[in-house]
Amino acid sequence: MDKVLVAAQGVRKTFRAGNIAVEALRGVDLEVGNGEFMAIVGPSGSGKTTLLNLIGALDVPTGGRIVIFGRDLGPLSRSERAELRLRSLGFVFQAYNLVPVLTARENVEFVLELQGMDPKNRRVRAEQTLAELGLNELAHRRPSQMSGGQQQRVAVARAVASRPGLVLADEPTANLDSDNAQALLRMMRRLRDEMGMTFVFSTHDPLVISYASRVVTLRDGEVQSDERKDTCG
Amino acid sequence: MSGNLSVQYALRSLGRSRRRTSLSVLGVGLGCAIALFATAFMRGGQHMRVQAISQSGYGHLRIAPAGWEQSRRDDLRLQNSAAALKAARSLEGVFAVAAHVRVQGLLAFGTRVAGVQLLGVDPAAEPRLNRLVRTIAEGRYLQAGDEGAVVVGKALVERLDVELGDDLLLTLTRADGQIEYAMLRIVGIVSTGSRTIDETICHAMLADVANMTGLKGVAEVSVAFEDPQQVAALSAELAQRVQGDQVLTWREVLPAMSGDAAADRAFSNFFIFIVAVVVILGVTSAQLTAMLERRREFAVLIALGLGELKLVGLVLFEAVFMGVLGALLGLLLALPLVWHTATAGIDFSAMMGDDMTVMGVFFDPIIYADLGLWMLPYAFGLGLCATLLAALYPAWSATRLDAAAALSQRDA
Repeated sequence: MDKVLVAAQGVRKTFRAGNIAVEALRGVDLEVGNGEFMAIVGPSGSGKTTLLNLIGALDVPTGGRIVIFGRDLGPLSRSERAELRLRSLGFVFQAYNLVPVLTARENVEFVLELQGMDPKNRRVRAEQTLAELGLNELAHRRPSQMSGGQQQRVAVARAVASRPGLVLADEPTANLDSDNAQALLRMMRRLRDEMGMTFVFSTHDPLVISYASRVVTLRDGEVQSDERKDTCG
Repeated sequence: MSGNLSVQYALRSLGRSRRRTSLSVLGVGLGCAIALFATAFMRGGQHMRVQAISQSGYGHLRIAPAGWEQSRRDDLRLQNSAAALKAARSLEGVFAVAAHVRVQGLLAFGTRVAGVQLLGVDPAAEPRLNRLVRTIAEGRYLQAGDEGAVVVGKALVERLDVELGDDLLLTLTRADGQIEYAMLRIVGIVSTGSRTIDETICHAMLADVANMTGLKGVAEVSVAFEDPQQVAALSAELAQRVQGDQVLTWREVLPAMSGDAAADRAFSNFFIFIVAVVVILGVTSAQLTAMLERRREFAVLIALGLGELKLVGLVLFEAVFMGVLGALLGLLLALPLVWHTATAGIDFSAMMGDDMTVMGVFFDPIIYADLGLWMLPYAFGLGLCATLLAALYPAWSATRLDAAAALSQRDA
């Protein structure tokens, strides 16, 4: 494995609802190397999204340790975790989750603005990213004026515009038809190949699995299998 | 918040629910308008009160002998009357300066008597300071060389059943405790329109009162300014120039009146506070609803790296924009009303009767609101404070959002 970007050691996560405790993760050990195109699969409730949220510093584990880009997430404050997400991580969500009042370009630009990039450069970067992903014609459209597939591709553009080392995608193809899903996956793999980004998906879409170079299967909050593929998609 | 994309995001977010935003702005605007009108009316009333006090012979400031404020004794005299007068007259922005002495006495004509406070005045200075003596109904006001003359109020004349030219017998106690008698000829009768005041007016020459009491010098110097707003600064300046005596504001000279003014202001402020609280609660409710509706969107922004401070900035910026709009609306609503009240006034004579006198001060029955540039910062200050306060809790709630839970639709 190339340089390790993510190292999860004995990660546990328990959700509590009143007196009921649900163990979503029960001691997960996982390493993600640079440039991987990895799918985390498993049935609903197996802990895929929870693991993705923990790797993405959106949540904190109940037990265990997660190290991303050499930084242990445990001692980080909320603002430090936000800064880590801003600088090093990209997110793609199942429901696209573009900001509805912003155009495609502005959605992409927004993250760059949060990073403090000056207006001229961020605009150039946003347009460049949209162009690289073949989304120029969508630049001035708002999410309500785009199809689901278009929105998800813009969401990928938003996730990768700041050139993060790691992109986390939670069920990115769940709401897409197979043509759009294929286009999206090809686009993401191209980004991996051309820009060296690392992608981690949570999915149970066979298409995503077919594109993945590594498939980690979770069941009942534990890693059931970890399979590396020589050929994919 | 950095750059203008965040600003555009905040502004467009307000446009998402136009009805809610409009209602919030309307609420802020109405609150501002009510507060503006109430404050304009209160300020106008306060201004008129100060002017009424000043023009009733009290002035805005009084140079009084040390210890007078505590003892209120009429037999105290300034340490250096001439220096006090000179210091007062040399102040910039002075409108009128008048010296006074006071003594309690008994006026008699035939078998009729009336207790009075005889005011010794400088006839050249008094009419400029005291508008009451400008309302001469018969005769004239005192003039230089008017020794043995007196100007009295019409009600006093009626009570004593005297007329212009009659000689009144004044009886008083001298400083040394001896009884003193003097004859004073009526040279003028004042009719202010207030029976209460007309019963108290009894002015004689400073020198006459000094001779009768056996006390030389001046008991007080009343000072009125062209701009009442300058009183605080000029009071301090005058105090530095006056040695051995004290400089008192009208509030210190008339503490009961000052208490009334403070009570009026407190009531007005309380009323405005209630209005502000209602507005703040209404806007808080609307902002909180907006925040909850955008819970998932905020979670996405947090996931993308939006920090807590920037998130607070976004929510507060929306509040600022609503505050500015609300303030503008408030000004639009309030200005015609304040303008009308500032020019036509509100006539309280029917409510207060014929006698608009309080503690020897004659008030105009028509109160005019204070229309001025102060309304601009007031409206924007109030609108912004109200909306920012209203947005604090929603903003804080947004920062407490569990992004992971919101994104996976779990309960946070």
